[in-house]
Formats: sequence, C-alpha cells, structure tokens
Amino acid sequence: MAETTSHLPDGSVTAPSSRSATGAIIILLLAFAPQIVELLISLAGLIVPLSGRHPLQVLSGHGSALIVALPSLFQQYAAGGKASLSSDLLLALIYTYPLVAVALFTLLVRPRAPQDYYGGVVLMAIALFALWASSDLQGMHGFSFGAGTAPRMFGVLLLGLGAAIAVIGVITDGAQLATYHWRGPLFVSLAILVFAVSIRPLGLVVSGLASFLIAALGTHETRWGETLIVGICLTVGCALLFPYVLGLPMPLFPRFLVP
Amino acid sequence: MDLFANLAHGFAVAFSPINLLMCLIGALVGTLVGVLPGIGTIATVAMLLPITFGLPPVGALIMLAGIYYGAQYGGSTTSILVNIPGEATSVVTALDGFQMAKQGRAGPALAIAAIGSFFAGCVATVLIAVLGAPLTKLALAFGPAEYFSLMVLGLIFAVVLAKGSVLKAVAMIVLGLLLSMVGSDIETGASRMAFNIPELADGLGFATVAMGVFGFAEIIRNLDAGAEMDRDLVQQKITGLMPTRKDLKDSTPAILRGTVLGSILGILPGGGAVIASFAAYTLEKKLAKNPSRFGRGAIEGVAAPESANNAAAQTSFIPLLTLGIPPNAVMALMVGAMTIHGIVPGPQVMQKQPDLVWGMIASMWIGNLMLIVINLPLVGIWVRLLRVPYRLMFPSIVIFCAIGIYSVNNAPVDVILAGVFGLVGYWLIKHEFEPAPLLLGMVLGPLMEENLRRALLISRGDWSVFVSRPLSAALLAIAAGLLVLAVLPTLRRKRDQVFVESES
Repeated sequence: MAETTSHLPDGSVTAPSSRSATGAIIILLLAFAPQIVELLISLAGLIVPLSGRHPLQVLSGHGSALIVALPSLFQQYAAGGKASLSSDLLLALIYTYPLVAVALFTLLVRPRAPQDYYGGVVLMAIALFALWASSDLQGMHGFSFGAGTAPRMFGVLLLGLGAAIAVIGVITDGAQLATYHWRGPLFVSLAILVFAVSIRPLGLVVSGLASFLIAALGTHETRWGETLIVGICLTVGCALLFPYVLGLPMPLFPRFLVP
Repeated sequence: MDLFANLAHGFAVAFSPINLLMCLIGALVGTLVGVLPGIGTIATVAMLLPITFGLPPVGALIMLAGIYYGAQYGGSTTSILVNIPGEATSVVTALDGFQMAKQGRAGPALAIAAIGSFFAGCVATVLIAVLGAPLTKLALAFGPAEYFSLMVLGLIFAVVLAKGSVLKAVAMIVLGLLLSMVGSDIETGASRMAFNIPELADGLGFATVAMGVFGFAEIIRNLDAGAEMDRDLVQQKITGLMPTRKDLKDSTPAILRGTVLGSILGILPGGGAVIASFAAYTLEKKLAKNPSRFGRGAIEGVAAPESANNAAAQTSFIPLLTLGIPPNAVMALMVGAMTIHGIVPGPQVMQKQPDLVWGMIASMWIGNLMLIVINLPLVGIWVRLLRVPYRLMFPSIVIFCAIGIYSVNNAPVDVILAGVFGLVGYWLIKHEFEPAPLLLGMVLGPLMEENLRRALLISRGDWSVFVSRPLSAALLAIAAGLLVLAVLPTLRRKRDQVFVESES
C-alpha cells in the first residue's frame, strides 16, 4: 500500500498545473504501479537472490491477466462462480481497471480543486489496493468476523470517502496543487535508505556519518566544513549515547574490522 | 481517605531518587527538543520514545510524561521568543507572546506562561487523582459494544475538532484504521496485507509511522521553504523575568478560566491540548473589555492558552489510564510505550499496578514544578539553541530519528518504512490531509476491531446491539449529533473563523 502512494510525490513534480492530461497519465501510472513494482523487484531478483517469480513469469502473468480479466470474469459467472480467480487477475479487476477508468475520467473533466481531486483519487487507489490485498482472506462465516471482514469494511469505507473527496474536487472551487520540490525529499529519503542498508554491515559510525552527509545535500545552503565537524561530533555522540548510556545494542564498527 | 493514601503512595514512588532523575531528564530533554523550531510535541515524543526502552516501566513512563510537558513548554518558549510555534498548541501563544517579546517584555511573558502552566498542572493532577477511581468503576460497566461506541465518539471528536475539511479528516481516520489491519489477525492468526514480508507480520510499528509522518515529513516540508528559515529572533537580552503586580492581576482570572476549559476539553476523547488553547484564547477575547488589545501583547492572551493546553495535556491521561483509550496522538504514543513494556492500558492497570499509575500522576506535578524551577533560569540557553542554523539541525534530526527507529526492533526495514511514511506524510501535507487523525485511527484500529467482533459475537450477529444498550446508544447519539453539527454550514463557518482568526 505504502509503495503505491510513494509514487505520487515523485511523479507530481512534473505536474505543476491542473492540466488534466498530465494528471491522467500520472493516475494511469498509479494504476499499473503494483505490476511495475513487482516487475522491478523480480528484475532485482536476477542480481540479488530474492524469493519471488522470474521477471518473464511476472510479465506474462500480469500481461495475460490484464487482457483476459474481463472475459474470465464473465466466464466465472457463467460457470456459476465455482472457479477461483488468480491473484494477478484479481489485481487487474479490483485495482487496475477501476483506476484506468478514473484516469480516462480525468481526461474528460477539469477539476476545479485539483488538490482535493488528486488527493481523493489516491485515497481511492489505496482503498482498492487494500481490497485486493485482503481479497484472499476469509470473510464472514455465520455471524462471526473472518480475518478479512474488517479490512474489507474499512477498505470500502475509504473508497467511498476518497470518491466523495474527488467528486467534491471536481464540482467545487478549491486549492491548486501545491508545488513539490525534489531536492529535500530525494536526499532525505536517500540518507534514510543508506542508513537502513548499511547499519548492519558497516555499523553506526560509518553509516551514521555517511547518511548525515547525504542528508546535508538536501539543501544548497550546506557549508561542508561545518557540516563535517557537526556530523563527526553527532556520530560520536550517538555512538556513545545509544549503546552505552541507553543500553540499546547495535553494531558500531564495520563487520570486517571487528574480530 | 483513599485518595490521599493513593496520592501519598504516588509521591513516595515518584520521589525515589531514580524516578526524580527520570522526571528531570525527561523534562530537560523534552524542552531541549521541543525548543527546536519545526518539531512539535508528537514528533518530540516519537523521537525520544526509543531512549526510554532500556528503563524499567515506571521510570520509562515517568520520563515520557516529563518529555511531553517539556516539549510543550519548549514549544511555547519558541513561539514567544521567535514567533515560530513549534507545534499547534502554541500557535495562539505566539500571537500575543511574540508581541510582548517585541515590546521587551519577553521575561514576563515566559514567566506567566510557566506560572499558568504550573497552576493548571496542579489542578489537573488533583483532578486526575479524584476522577481516576470513579471512572475506573464506570469502565467496569462497559461491554464491548460500549467500548466500540466510545471509540467511535472519540474519533468523531477528533474529526470535529480538527481544522480543515471534515470529510478529509474522516478519510484520514479510516486510512489509519486500514493501516492498523496490516499484520497478523489477532483471532485467527491469518497474515493480512503483509505480502510475505516477515517484518510486516507483526503489523506496522506505531512509532515507525509516527516518526515518518511527523518527523521526516516535517523535515522535508521545512526544506521546501529553504533551510534559512525566517527567524525574527528577539535580539535583546531578556531581563527581568518577574511579572509586575498588574500582570499578575490581569492574568489570574485568565489562568483560572483557561485551566477549567482545558481540563474539560482534555478529558473528552479526541480533544486534547490543541483545541483547548484555541478555545481559551477565543474565550478571553470574547470576555475582554477591550478586545483590540489582543494580538498586540495582551498578557491574558499568553496566560489563558498556556494554562489551558497544559491542563488539557494532563487531563487527557484520564481516558488513557481509566478506559485504556488514547484521546489524542501523543497519548497514542504513550499506549505504544506501555505496550512495549508489557502493560495493557485500561481499567485493570489502576488496580494491578498502582505504583505505575499513581507514581506517574505524582510525577506530573513534580514535572511541572521542575519546569518552572529549572527552565525559567535556563531560558538563555534555549535562546542560544534557537540560533543553531537549520542546515545543520535537519541532518542531525534525520540521523537521530533513523538510529532511534532502528533501535526499536533492530530492524533496518523499519527505518525504510519510516522513510516511506515520511514521503507519504509529505504528500499528505501537500494535499492538506491532517496526519494526526490517521495516527489516532491507527492506534484505535485493533481495539475497535476486537470490540466490534466481540460485541457481534455476543449478540449473535445482531447489529442492533449498539443501539439497544443504553450507554452505547447514548455515546453513538452524541457522536452522530457532533458530526451533524460539524457539517452544518453555520457552525462550520464559525469553526473556520476561529482558526483563521487565530492564525492571522
């Protein structure tokens, strides 16, 4: 769920105005985001061993699912709802198709409050994604809740609310889209990512200082001399504070240096 | 008298040297971080949560409570001295406080803020002690249906009192509820929406999301404006902390009114400190003989909101300690901290762990005393801290938060998740969605689901149980009434007016 939402902040950089075409393209991207993300992960799986499908499997699975989703739905109805649909098919049906429809709708209208409209659409996307993610869970049996009942309930509720916000964004005047900046979000996220990846193998001292310096790139006002000094002091301070004063164990130095 | 015995017991716990030290450290560190502009109370508590993990439960919670007051006090210091309210609760304090500071009366403004907070803190401490026991008895009359309805009421309160669109706030709550479903189902153990990621099997960490949405997102947003934030620092030295006799005379009734208003609003679920300070300021302005003085350095405009927010901050512990329901995002973090220490908040805590509950109540009073005794002389240091440029501060905060999140579970994935939620939070800010209701929804989600399931199981699937039980029906009726009122155009205009007026 989180991975789909994180796409929009990056994507919206290119959508400064309320032009519907750009908006529609971004929503279209969002509609195929889960498929694209899975493909990317499976491609990464070629380099580092990850559990998951082969890229070609992913490609063919989603590709065929996107094409045959509707016919197979009718087929299932014809068969009396006995055959269960595959996860790829369900993703296409529950998530991608509705969002493609929303993207087409976006082309036709000119939202008067783009901030609300796109906010509502993304909430709808999250809700649809959650509905798909919980579609394999057991529902009500008798009068007792299954594992999937509550997620589906809240998913439907969020879908309705998102749609309401989007509709209001179409028909009433409101705020324009705020401008996004790339520098701050990019380098702060990068610093966090570097820290997360390197803390285990490299230890607090190296990864802390490295990500401090990366985060400092987030603004063009950084003066490197003072930043380096503060970074070193802070890293040393944290290296003393967390493991020793607070008693929270964590690796301090790179693994290959520690005997 | 049970009450005095309990309080005495509490003070005995709180006055043990180690707990006094925890309280002191908490208040100091809380102020230290709270003073940093752009970091609100929620972010402060979330950031400092990890440093309490290694402590024994009582000490950890006393320290967290200290951090909470400290952060709030730090927020008012910045809003008076630099006109940068560190958090929503001190937005109104900045209006008159900064004007006073400009007129060279920063000292009295700070002093009155501290005195007002201390007085409100005393009253609220007694109130918690008095109301705690009877409310716990009331809690015993609560079945699952009542709990569910109460939580609905709390969430609706949070919506009504939040600023901005009602619809968007409701959507944020539902999003929070949905996020809380990630992980293993409590009853069947089925893995829900976890995508076979082992770190998600236990659900999204509450501290992780809070740190992302409030910590990282706030930093990213501040960077948008350029690191060199506009700082109108009051340059002259702060002399004469003591308020004059006239100041005291003017502010006494304001402090009293603020305390009463704050105490009431704090107990209500969903309310909390933010709305209390807004309401107190508006009330003072309405009651004043000469309302035009407000916004130009009226001391009542500092005294009332400051006492109200402190009173509310403390009385919001009441629903948490008695019913186990966090009324706002900070209390939600407290629940997180308690759970990490293996304490389930709720009526049984009062009986089973009197040390913890009464010790914490007593330490609230001590914490307030410490704020007034220690922090006023330290104002000079806090001011110097404000001169640290943001370009150096923000990478430090990023690293500190990252280490903190990592230390919670020693899980790198948690750090990445917090980063993702940082971006989500940035997006939410850009689309004017309030993150606080999301957090509240996330904490209440599992509780709500559990009680909903249980209520329906007991009634054998009959949904009318929520309206046929009188207490539950009453709670739901209030919630429905509030929601209708909030959506009604006239009240809505008034509500918006309050916020517009206070922010201008």
